[in-house]
Amino acid sequence: MSIERTEKNEIIRFERVTREYGTGAHVLKAVDDVSFAIREGEFVVILGPSGAGKSTLLNLLGGMDFASSGKIFVGGDNIVGLPDDRLTEYRAAHVGFVFQFYNLIPTLTAFENIALTRNIVKKPLDARNALEMVGLADHADQFPAQLSGGEQQRVSIARAVAKNPTMLLCDEPTGALDSETGAVVLEMLQGMSRERGKTVVIVTHNAALANAADRVIRIRNGRISAVEENESPKAVSEVAW
Amino acid sequence: MLVLKMLRDMGRHRTQFISIFLMAFLAIFIYAGVGGEWRGLQKSADDFYAETNLADVWIYGGGSGGAQGVGFGGAGFSEAQAEAVGRVDGVGAVERRLEMNAVGDFENKPVLNLCFAERNEISSLYIVEGAGFDKNDAGGIWLSQRFAEARGVGVGDVIGFSVSAANGANDAAGAVDVEARSGSAGGGADTHDSLKFEKTIRGLVYSAEHVFESASETLTPDFSDHGYAYLSANAFPAPVPGMPSAEPPYNTLLVKTDGTSPPAAELERKIDAALDGRYSVYLERVNLPSVNMFANEIQQHKMMGDIFPVVFLLIALLTMMTTMTRMVANQRVQVGTLKALGVKRGAILRHYLSYGFFLALFGAALGVAVGPATLPYLFYPSMSSFYTLPEWKPAYAPEFLFVSAALVLLCTAVSLLACGKLLSESPADTLRPKAPKAFRHGALERTKFWRRLSWAAKWNVRDASRSRARSLMAVIGVFGCTALVVCAFSMNDCMKDLKTWQYETVNLYESKLILGNNLTSSRIDEITEEVNGEKIMEVKAEIRANGRKQGASLLVTDGTELIRPTDSELKPTKLPEIGISITEKTAELLGVGKGDSIEWHVYGEQGWMEGSVEKVYREPVNQGITMRRGHFESLGMEFRPTAVLSAKKVVRDIDGVDSVVLTSESSTGWDDLTEAMYTMVYLLIAAAAVLSVVVLYNLGMLSFTEMEREMATLKVMGMKSGRLRGLLLSQSLWFTAIGFVLGVPAGMWLTSRIVAMSGDSFDFPVFLHAPTLLIALAFAFGMSALVNLFFSGKIRYLDMVGSLKGVE
Repeated sequence: MSIERTEKNEIIRFERVTREYGTGAHVLKAVDDVSFAIREGEFVVILGPSGAGKSTLLNLLGGMDFASSGKIFVGGDNIVGLPDDRLTEYRAAHVGFVFQFYNLIPTLTAFENIALTRNIVKKPLDARNALEMVGLADHADQFPAQLSGGEQQRVSIARAVAKNPTMLLCDEPTGALDSETGAVVLEMLQGMSRERGKTVVIVTHNAALANAADRVIRIRNGRISAVEENESPKAVSEVAW
Repeated sequence: MLVLKMLRDMGRHRTQFISIFLMAFLAIFIYAGVGGEWRGLQKSADDFYAETNLADVWIYGGGSGGAQGVGFGGAGFSEAQAEAVGRVDGVGAVERRLEMNAVGDFENKPVLNLCFAERNEISSLYIVEGAGFDKNDAGGIWLSQRFAEARGVGVGDVIGFSVSAANGANDAAGAVDVEARSGSAGGGADTHDSLKFEKTIRGLVYSAEHVFESASETLTPDFSDHGYAYLSANAFPAPVPGMPSAEPPYNTLLVKTDGTSPPAAELERKIDAALDGRYSVYLERVNLPSVNMFANEIQQHKMMGDIFPVVFLLIALLTMMTTMTRMVANQRVQVGTLKALGVKRGAILRHYLSYGFFLALFGAALGVAVGPATLPYLFYPSMSSFYTLPEWKPAYAPEFLFVSAALVLLCTAVSLLACGKLLSESPADTLRPKAPKAFRHGALERTKFWRRLSWAAKWNVRDASRSRARSLMAVIGVFGCTALVVCAFSMNDCMKDLKTWQYETVNLYESKLILGNNLTSSRIDEITEEVNGEKIMEVKAEIRANGRKQGASLLVTDGTELIRPTDSELKPTKLPEIGISITEKTAELLGVGKGDSIEWHVYGEQGWMEGSVEKVYREPVNQGITMRRGHFESLGMEFRPTAVLSAKKVVRDIDGVDSVVLTSESSTGWDDLTEAMYTMVYLLIAAAAVLSVVVLYNLGMLSFTEMEREMATLKVMGMKSGRLRGLLLSQSLWFTAIGFVLGVPAGMWLTSRIVAMSGDSFDFPVFLHAPTLLIALAFAFGMSALVNLFFSGKIRYLDMVGSLKGVE
């Protein structure tokens, strides 16, 4: 992997990234010639309507999808074109995913879901501490089906954080939650950025969240319509819903 | 429209549906195929028995003269005796016959069982070629077709025979030898005469009394070595050339019941009274060796045809259950939508039931159509090398349709079980996603052991308990497959063990010289000395104990070193000098053990002897009792050697020796016999392979589909593909291990059941050998690994984005 010098504090850089689906006349550009950068520890919101290409952008960043062209630098290394096993290593070391539908393993308890990170990274956070961090220490032995949606999402965040990754990538993390519970989850994610210095990237179509972000990337029809930096982002609790 | 939906659903879940179809097909294919096979045999035999008016009872005469009955000079059954039996209530017809052994004028001196028939209306001949039996034809002979074929003779050929004082004597009960009037009494062996005569072959025949025929000294029939022939009573040779021929001394009565089927015991008592007890053996049809052997064979096939399909049926039902439950659960919202749109409940129900119905219907229909038409022809060629039947044709039975219908109903019922609950809900409930199954911590999870398990093990255990039907299917599949493989190979082992046991442990002699009857003891001693051999007496006997009666062999030895008895572990053992030793199998059949009292009686002798069992030993092919000469003679019995054993290979003709059985040749004959077994073995292994692949593939497919989302999550989290493969593999290995552990004893049980049907004269050693265990192990785990290999490819290319899209 070639090391290129990047701007100070810059952790992520997309350079003219395109993701095409299909061939010939039926080519669909889900992400079309996108370039932007994100600094370390930022709380970033990617905003856009349904089908705009937000999730594709996130998947490309997370090493779950392959760019058709362009470069994606993470910590100075271009991840485009990495073989499968290197991408797996990349995801293990750098990426913590939070999904819309939590994707907890139904046959493992809350504690076990977090503890399985031991099998992925060498030095994960202690699973109990991670659970405490999301306020669910007393739910350790419960199975996902015994938890509410919000609780499941908090376990999912704890699981993502437990790997101690460089960044947290969250795809509509509150999409399946009511607004109150959603706010709790978002506060938690914001806290990860503010207090723990994690880079947090959230994909959402909830425009209100823009006020809480350090950086807002607006996307429409696969292209970036605007990248805004917020000088004084609000706390999630202050954002009107 | 719903039909279109069904077809597309089937297309989407084709692996599962193909395997349901395949299992339904295989279940019926084997059931109806093997069923058609044995029913065909049964029908052919029954038709053969009926067509030839096979006797119901054989009565063999016994002279006061000796164990082997009458000779030329002896008195046979008189016409008056036959008439007396004919008058007995329940008896329809009686016919007399003289049976005797002659040596055919061919290379290697084949033994032919000659029947001089009074009329040949009972147990009549089935003419394969040539003219029908003529009871007045003095110059003709009707020869066994199998013998004629093996010896290359045909209708119109003239063949010669000789009957001598030294002909095969210790053959089946009732066979007699012919003693030439001149020269036997006190005559030296060198002076004894043999009577020679020639007859013209009029016809080539099958006899229903010889569906199975094997010389007593070999395990397998060698049609060139022995045979049978029928002649008119008029063809009975003049005992001394120049003298007019007399009425043959008929030594056999053939009895046909009149169809009122009187109780067997009562008939025997009445006939006994009519003959005033002056006969040696009363043999019912079920006990005729040929009938008995063939009936056992059919039983064996019937059992296999009944047991094996059950495994396939279970798999079909379990696959149906797992597939339908999952499909219906996945289509929950669709069902709700259909309901909300106003589609009637009955229509939706019919739609889901039709999956099971049509798959099972087509599978079963194909099985019924193909099974009986193909499978029997796999068995018939090897079987026809043992058995002789006019026709080898499968038979159909209404059961094929009943069982098929039952299978279709069961599959449909399972579909109902899978979707019934969903259909009884209200449309609004159905449209809501189903609440996920709640997990509870079982008792196991409170143990220390559980805490030490890795998360992967915990996952697997909980996953198995979450999908019980799927797990059960996997275990049953591996269980069935292992049982089939173990059964196949242990049957093979059993055949080999029997051979080693018989020819390497028990029989230490190379040659067994069958002595002619009525040899002087000095001649026997000369023969014994000539080959440096040992004399034995081996005769047919009956043994009674606990109200049971068993035909068996009686062996009297001089303490020979050439026959080495074995214990139940097949290790050589010593028999006591005083008292009776009994074979384990006979002891079991009679329900006796050491110290128990038994009664025995030599065929052809009147009166029973009593004695107590001193030792139980194990012997492969000659079930019965044995004792030392000293003990035998102390009971007042006469030791009359029937054979001389020698460690040397005797190939030359020795005067007074009827035939020589060479161990090396019999052992080769045994290999030929086991050849036929291989058809069954291959069939079992093929079935096991199909079963394991289908089941394990299905299981893999199901667990993969169910865990796809979880796998994708773990992959996104950065877990390596190897670890994920290990997760799937370890589950499959656990099921394989459980199925295997249960399958091994089941396979051994199956083998023991199958060999137990080989009749009372064989004692098959059923032992589990390490190679068999290893082969079964390799088979079960190999298949498991193979199928897993296929799924590991899928994990590598798992579409993370697609798998993690929102749940529908």
